[in-house]
Amino acid sequence: MKEPLPFDHRPDTVLGEELRRALDPGDAASFVARVLARAAEARVASWDAVLARWARPGVAAAVLVALAAGYLVGRASAAPAPRPSVYDALMAPPAHPGEVDIVLASVIGN
Amino acid sequence: MADPQPPQRAARIAEQDEAELVVRAAAGDRAAFGVLVERYAGVARRVARAVLGNPEDADDAAQDAMLSALVKLDQYDARRPFGPWLLRIVANAATDRRRRRTVRRVDPLDAGLTAGGPRPDTTAERRALGERLRQALAELPERRRVAVVLFDVEGYSHAEIAAVLGIPEGTVRSEVFHARRRLRALLADWKEEA
Repeated sequence: MKEPLPFDHRPDTVLGEELRRALDPGDAASFVARVLARAAEARVASWDAVLARWARPGVAAAVLVALAAGYLVGRASAAPAPRPSVYDALMAPPAHPGEVDIVLASVIGN
Repeated sequence: MADPQPPQRAARIAEQDEAELVVRAAAGDRAAFGVLVERYAGVARRVARAVLGNPEDADDAAQDAMLSALVKLDQYDARRPFGPWLLRIVANAATDRRRRRTVRRVDPLDAGLTAGGPRPDTTAERRALGERLRQALAELPERRRVAVVLFDVEGYSHAEIAAVLGIPEGTVRSEVFHARRRLRALLADWKEEA
């Protein structure tokens, strides 16, 4: 069985303080300012990315809507005139009145 | 601006409002994110420097990690402490940067530094001791460096360091033990030589 390590469970304040000094980066203010500036840039960039991401589907959707609208408008304008009702057909003046007279004369004559 | 964290247990900051700050930052509150950055700037930069050595690289890595954390805030589990979560991102960012960077030319240490020196009473002497400590730290395996810095400098518990490094607590104890042995020997030599 392994011997347990003789480990001090408390931080070594002397070593810790020397290491802290050795690793001290200094000038915290400029670092914080730099990070916050980059974060602000990243936020703007992310909005740009979001808009850019939406731009392509947006254009595609607009094209589809325009095509659909064009199709509907075109179809509406090209549609045939409504068919006349039976009443309208009977009451309308004949296109060739002479033919009607001939037909009537032949019927009455018989 | 001075480092707002106390010398010991620096990352052990008031955590009661931290979850709220995180929620606000995730919702786009820049002020809340600013508070988090101010609180953790010191420890993040020290951990990154422990990994990378070079202070400029360390600051770049710490900055990248902070921004990465901002993007990932919605993945943070508010039931867990924020510090270890953030420092894991920092340690990973620093490690990635170390792997990516090309080998830099390293200026050799002053012979006087490597051979020891007087008691660090003056600024120059203290700077020299710092240089020796950084050199000694750089010779340790990366995980050991981060473990000892988080334990002895930042005051994190073994469990928290285990979470940061993704290793068992027992391994953290072992890493800190071995790192301390090396660094304490260096400090003792320094004092003896003085």
